[in-house]
Amino acid sequence: MLRASAACEAGGIPSSSLVCEGFIRQAATTSVGLGMPNLPVARVPGHVGVQSNEELGRNILEVTVERVIANLTCEPAQAGEPLEPRPREVVFKGDFDAVNRCFYENEWSDGLPIVPPTREKVEAFFAFTDRGPDEVLGVLLPDNRAATVWSIAVNGVMAGCRPEYMPILVALIEAMADPRYGVEHSGNTPGGETLIILNGPIVKQLGFNYTQGALRDGFLPNTSVGRFWRLYLRNVAGFLPHKNDKATFGNTWRVVLAENEEALAKISWEPNSVEMGFNAGDNTVTIARYTGSSALSSVSGSTPEQVLPILADGVLKQTLWTIVFTVGLTMGTLRPLLVLSPILAETIARRGWSKADVKRYLFEHCRIPAWEFERQLRDWSQKPIWNLAEEARLGHIPKVFHESDDPNRMVPIVFKPADFMIAVTGDVLRHNAHVFAHNGALGYPVGKRIRLPEGWERRLAELGK
Amino acid sequence: MFNGGTETQYEVLWPRSQRQTRFKSLAPRLETLEGKTVAQLWDYMFRGDEVFALLEEGLKARFPGVRFVSWREFGSTHGANEREFVAALPQRLMGLGVDAAISGMGC
Repeated sequence: MLRASAACEAGGIPSSSLVCEGFIRQAATTSVGLGMPNLPVARVPGHVGVQSNEELGRNILEVTVERVIANLTCEPAQAGEPLEPRPREVVFKGDFDAVNRCFYENEWSDGLPIVPPTREKVEAFFAFTDRGPDEVLGVLLPDNRAATVWSIAVNGVMAGCRPEYMPILVALIEAMADPRYGVEHSGNTPGGETLIILNGPIVKQLGFNYTQGALRDGFLPNTSVGRFWRLYLRNVAGFLPHKNDKATFGNTWRVVLAENEEALAKISWEPNSVEMGFNAGDNTVTIARYTGSSALSSVSGSTPEQVLPILADGVLKQTLWTIVFTVGLTMGTLRPLLVLSPILAETIARRGWSKADVKRYLFEHCRIPAWEFERQLRDWSQKPIWNLAEEARLGHIPKVFHESDDPNRMVPIVFKPADFMIAVTGDVLRHNAHVFAHNGALGYPVGKRIRLPEGWERRLAELGK
Repeated sequence: MFNGGTETQYEVLWPRSQRQTRFKSLAPRLETLEGKTVAQLWDYMFRGDEVFALLEEGLKARFPGVRFVSWREFGSTHGANEREFVAALPQRLMGLGVDAAISGMGC
């Protein structure tokens, strides 16, 4: 919304942005990143989502209209450029406690103690990349800062990463900067969090946990790389709570989910990296943003026919309102993720079912009545302009969403079977699953190959790995 | 890192990086909305259709000659194609003879 306003202003057209009362501060910080700190906003009192028609009318006509007129006809005050340190500048000297106090007070840390990013520590990370420190991997909204390799190393140190994790960190920020991912949406109110999936020999080389407790902290690589992601979102992209990060609740960062490729090879299922377009055996990261997740405990049965209905039911129930990313807010960008424990995947695969078969099953069985889908789009989201029949007629959505006018017809929750994602990890001998509700285009799955430096094996050997 | 006393002292580096945009001037403001054309830009969320109808009512009461280009003309400003949408927007507005824009909903 503000990005559209900034584009208008840059094109010589004055704008006024409509901002609900609780979002004024976010608008102010976002405007700085857009290079227009005085971008004018018109306050909408309270939040429109809980107001009666009469309240909304009174608020707009008595408050907002006047601000819109002023915004379009009065010159706003000019704002000066803030002074900031230079890259590689020493910003503080002190002991461990003082450094941490400084970083916390400047909003550079997540509240946990950070490893002080000294030049010596940061430079050690460059022993594990061939990338130059000044190389820019992209520009990250909303703060509009350069994603430099140097800043990756600094935040990697702070997060407690070891220098040899650097190739993974670089790949992650390449993914963060990929426009398909949509990092600029990371401060939206559902407060979703990124999940990082790691594939390839690097999982074992660097000691990532890929068995029991796969999503639990307690394993240095999984935990510190997950923390790095959130620190980088904070320090370079600019997502700070109470400012650009408007998560209503939010949650902490997730540890890295490493796939169990041994278990996958045993059942001849391709790893996630292949789903993302890479070759089996490639070292890759995949990122996607999820609004929540839930464990499916004790998915019992000895055949696919017995366990798949339980899994489909779990995927459907976890998806909830996020169907607006299938039809509505965006079209066809919902990618639910189902994580299976190895024993559960084996139970399905030993009867000859491939991953594609499972996805086809989910596509055909994760369905809801059309009236329920439209109720979410229109009534519950207060967006009266969508209906499945019209979108199908215009060719915006697949015909499967409107095969008849029967409101009780069952429609899928994604565009096509391949939109479901499946990963295998966790406790090898426990028949549980985990379902993630995807955030659609506001965190679309993006995969990147991890580029290792020349002499990677030798460099690891020098560490004793 | 240096040891300046009993506790280890650290010289620490800035964890951020440089902004890639300098502050820019806003567009010149209008003298009046009378006789002007105002675009309605909507992200298709949070009752914007109702809000724009109310704004039309309120602005027309003050400026009877103001005209509007409806949000229906533009489609959603938010979502998967947002970057392309935003990049093309100024040209599109100029083509429609737009003098000012109202963009919502930040909620």
